[in-house]
Amino acid sequence: MTAAFSSPSQSARRMRHSRRSIAPWLYIAPAALTFLVWIYWPLFDALWLSFHQWNMLPRAPVKFVGWSNYANIFALPKFWQALRNTGIYVIGLLPLAVIVPLAVAIYTNDLSGRFRNVYRAIIFVPMIIAPVVAASVWRWVLDPDYGVLNGLLKSAGIAPIQFLTDPDIAIWAIVFITGWKLIGFSTLILSAANANINPALVEAARMDGASRWEIIRDIRLPLLSSTILFLVMITTLLGAQWSFSYIVVLTQGGPLGSTTNIFHILWDFGFSSMSVGWSSAAAIILFLGFGVLAFSLMRLADRYSFHDN
Amino acid sequence: MLRRNLLTGFSSLFAAGVLMTAAAHAQTAAPTIDKPVTITFYNYNLAAAGLGADATVKLISEFMAANPNVKVEGVAVPGLDMASRLQSDMAADRVPDVAQVIFDGLAFVADNLGAVALEDIVPKQELDDHFSGMIPAGIRLGQLDGKTYALAYTFSTPVLFYNADLFRKAGLNPDEPPRTWEQVKAAAVAIHDKTGAQGFNGALAGGGAAGFDWALQGVLRSNGGGALSKDRKTITFGEPAAVQAISMLRDLHDAGVYENMPSDAMVETMKSGQLGMLLNTSAQQNALIKGAAGKFELRAAQMPGFGDKPSAPTNSGSGLVIFSQDPLKQRAAWELMKFLTSKRGYTVITSEIGYLPLRTDIVDDPQYLGPWVKEHPMVRPNLAQLQRLQPWVAYPGQSYRQIAKIFLDATEAAVFGKGDVTETMKAAQEQAQSLMTN
Amino acid sequence: MTTNIAMPMTRVAPVRSRPHPVLRAPFGHGVMIILSLICLLPVYWMIVSSLRPANALLDGAFWPSTITLENYSYALRAIPIGSMLVNTVIVSVAVTAFQLLTGLLAAYAFVRYRFAFDKLIYALMAVTWLTPLQVVMIPNYLLVARLGMLDSLTALILPHFASALAVMLFTQSMRTFPKEVLEAARMDGAGGWRILWEVIVPNLQGMIASLTILIFISTWNEYFWPLLLSRTPANSVIQIGIQMFMTAEGTEWGPLMAASTMASLPILIFYVLLQRQVVQSFMKSGIR
Repeated sequence: MTAAFSSPSQSARRMRHSRRSIAPWLYIAPAALTFLVWIYWPLFDALWLSFHQWNMLPRAPVKFVGWSNYANIFALPKFWQALRNTGIYVIGLLPLAVIVPLAVAIYTNDLSGRFRNVYRAIIFVPMIIAPVVAASVWRWVLDPDYGVLNGLLKSAGIAPIQFLTDPDIAIWAIVFITGWKLIGFSTLILSAANANINPALVEAARMDGASRWEIIRDIRLPLLSSTILFLVMITTLLGAQWSFSYIVVLTQGGPLGSTTNIFHILWDFGFSSMSVGWSSAAAIILFLGFGVLAFSLMRLADRYSFHDN
Repeated sequence: MLRRNLLTGFSSLFAAGVLMTAAAHAQTAAPTIDKPVTITFYNYNLAAAGLGADATVKLISEFMAANPNVKVEGVAVPGLDMASRLQSDMAADRVPDVAQVIFDGLAFVADNLGAVALEDIVPKQELDDHFSGMIPAGIRLGQLDGKTYALAYTFSTPVLFYNADLFRKAGLNPDEPPRTWEQVKAAAVAIHDKTGAQGFNGALAGGGAAGFDWALQGVLRSNGGGALSKDRKTITFGEPAAVQAISMLRDLHDAGVYENMPSDAMVETMKSGQLGMLLNTSAQQNALIKGAAGKFELRAAQMPGFGDKPSAPTNSGSGLVIFSQDPLKQRAAWELMKFLTSKRGYTVITSEIGYLPLRTDIVDDPQYLGPWVKEHPMVRPNLAQLQRLQPWVAYPGQSYRQIAKIFLDATEAAVFGKGDVTETMKAAQEQAQSLMTN
Repeated sequence: MTTNIAMPMTRVAPVRSRPHPVLRAPFGHGVMIILSLICLLPVYWMIVSSLRPANALLDGAFWPSTITLENYSYALRAIPIGSMLVNTVIVSVAVTAFQLLTGLLAAYAFVRYRFAFDKLIYALMAVTWLTPLQVVMIPNYLLVARLGMLDSLTALILPHFASALAVMLFTQSMRTFPKEVLEAARMDGAGGWRILWEVIVPNLQGMIASLTILIFISTWNEYFWPLLLSRTPANSVIQIGIQMFMTAEGTEWGPLMAASTMASLPILIFYVLLQRQVVQSFMKSGIR
């Protein structure tokens, strides 16, 4: 799956070489035009506008302001906090987005058909629920005064936990909710990969007297490594985006900026108000930042991924 | 870059159009509506099911029935997005004829979006006639530099809701609610110590403010401070009077009776009976009454002040703004605005949505709000403080939203954080000031 | 976690073929049941809360003592749920169909042909996956407005005409397609177009099914773009209807939960009916 990111030329299965033809261009045209019009055009626009000040009104003047839009963003006291939190989100999400699904995928693979299907079906359910709805319901469940979870804690004699209003805990609550929504997706992808492992390999190892754990460690995990790497990669790249809806609905970045991340803070100061300078600079920062990150991850993946074919 | 060229192309066309219309019509709306006209009305109550959509539709259709020549096309726009939606639609050359604008965007729509001042289109006599009977403080809310850009429409003030049962349990007298912030603190501590419930919360700082500084500005004003100087040139939320007011909130937090909580969470905590006092918009009243029904006795008091000084409640809410340059549409829009802010209009708005009537003479009039107010006495503290109403000040310039955010972020850090209040507010003041020129 | 779950399985026994009796692995099942409960609890809570009367909303009781449908009748009166659901179905079906189609075509070009800048173009397409919609939302809004498509379903569909995910996953799975089969088809004189539809597509069913599910769900739940475009409730999608119960002046929880339940129900039923196929299609899709 990591290969999905890398360029197509690596495939040796090309059937027609260098035949000058208009055909490929026709095939890619619909997708290419869509991306050009709806993503790249606005991005180039944003690049130009990020050095200007303008209120978008046709009759208003467009004023060149140099780097000041960028300076305003970097001067936000919360900016660096948001950057740090982005790292916490990514690291915090990995167990829920990768490790738990991996365990579930491997475990359920060996269950009888009925159990396997029931568990996997249930785990997929959170994916179906709209993020805004999921966030609202979780806030209810986690409330310190009337939430179910704290109700259970209270009956067990534990003091209620301020899941969403304690600056030290809130970010983990959001990480958990984001991860909760993701488990199903990751589990399915890992289950698919796991089910596609050649049974003969496992059987052979078993004949050699390998224990269950040894089979997992020496056969399954290495063969799943490219899928795992793919999940790690998309979690790193998209984790900040995935948590966005929950931050907006549950904490608005608070308390004390403890749950804001780079994506949310740029939304808060840029896109949510139509200040063209702020939002264009924010757009460029996000695009370049994640672009560079994606590029380095791709290089890493190419170097370390284990291919079974 | 093609798009930019397109835009500049548009711009010259648009600018020419605006100049021509402005020059041609000597600044006055048509005297009558003698032919059919359609106006668009951007309204945020239409986007809020249960909080005004039905009542707004009802008012609009009543208006159209009375003015058969006018067709009003209501466009639902969420309140938070109103100013930006207006801006983007104007950028796309779709100018609405009249819109419901939240007061924090007033300066922006007047300075940047070409809001039309009523004085420029409506004869003075007619304007005075309509204003008579309306609360003067309310009229002033929509004025900038002596001109009325927004006709105050739906609004509310901060009210101190309190749980009378918790007051009794804590040994307090619910008939004498706190009038000053010191009394709020004493009551909150008593409630917290004796009942275990939370003491106080409000739509002031941190998550509770929900992105708006209207109530917080009221607290600063109550102490003689403010967020912006009178000439709208200098940010003042780092000055001593403001810092002192914010330190009072910090003191409540340090006393363990004021926690940082998202705004909807604190309303629900209040509803669940776990919060003693809640300073929040009067628009919450209906929801709170419903939630408290059968569980505890909910009461309301005026916004607390500092010492002997009377409190300075600010308004949250919106005014109606005309954007149309067409005389006939201006007239139609003005007639709509007059109807919506008439005695009949406010009767529906107050009784069915929950905002305050800007015409106090209808409150005891049996033809209008009389019967409703008898059944809903909780609206009284709100009406009483209407006379002291202070405008929610809008920051000038394009970064007005960012300035408000910086103010709110700093207040959150000052009240609920560990740092020094004065330093935090001073630094934020400087940063916000640097955005004023933009 | 891995070790914990793996532990009860450390026994020498046939690995794949024989079913597990529940009793043999009580620990593993225990963990799975807890995980399942965590996954289901909020959904249960949503449905139960939608049935509670207004003053019992915050009780926190697991099973409501009184059940009422008043939230539903209120929600149905307040927003045009019927037309919103129809709109959402139209948008979701159209977006899914278009993304599958444009993805298939583009992937086919990348796998089958070599052309100028193909690597670069592929990379540029893949990178769009990282571009959050919010970044390009405002310029796109202006474009839509200028095209006169505000308040139309077309504007909800057009920017989602193609997706990087579809292009990438189709490219990936087509690349694993046996070369011999394609060569044989070509020998038989099948043109590029016919090979795509008659040879490749029938063999990509698993991937197509999985992508259909992923795209459909994410379009159904899409929120920010419709929010920007929505002008009249009757021309909006269901997520906007849900949003209408959450305002700056407060949230109406009961009706919100009722509307959310109604919004999730079609997709939930769809899923319950098809869950086996859903899971199977992921297995077959070769996503890995």
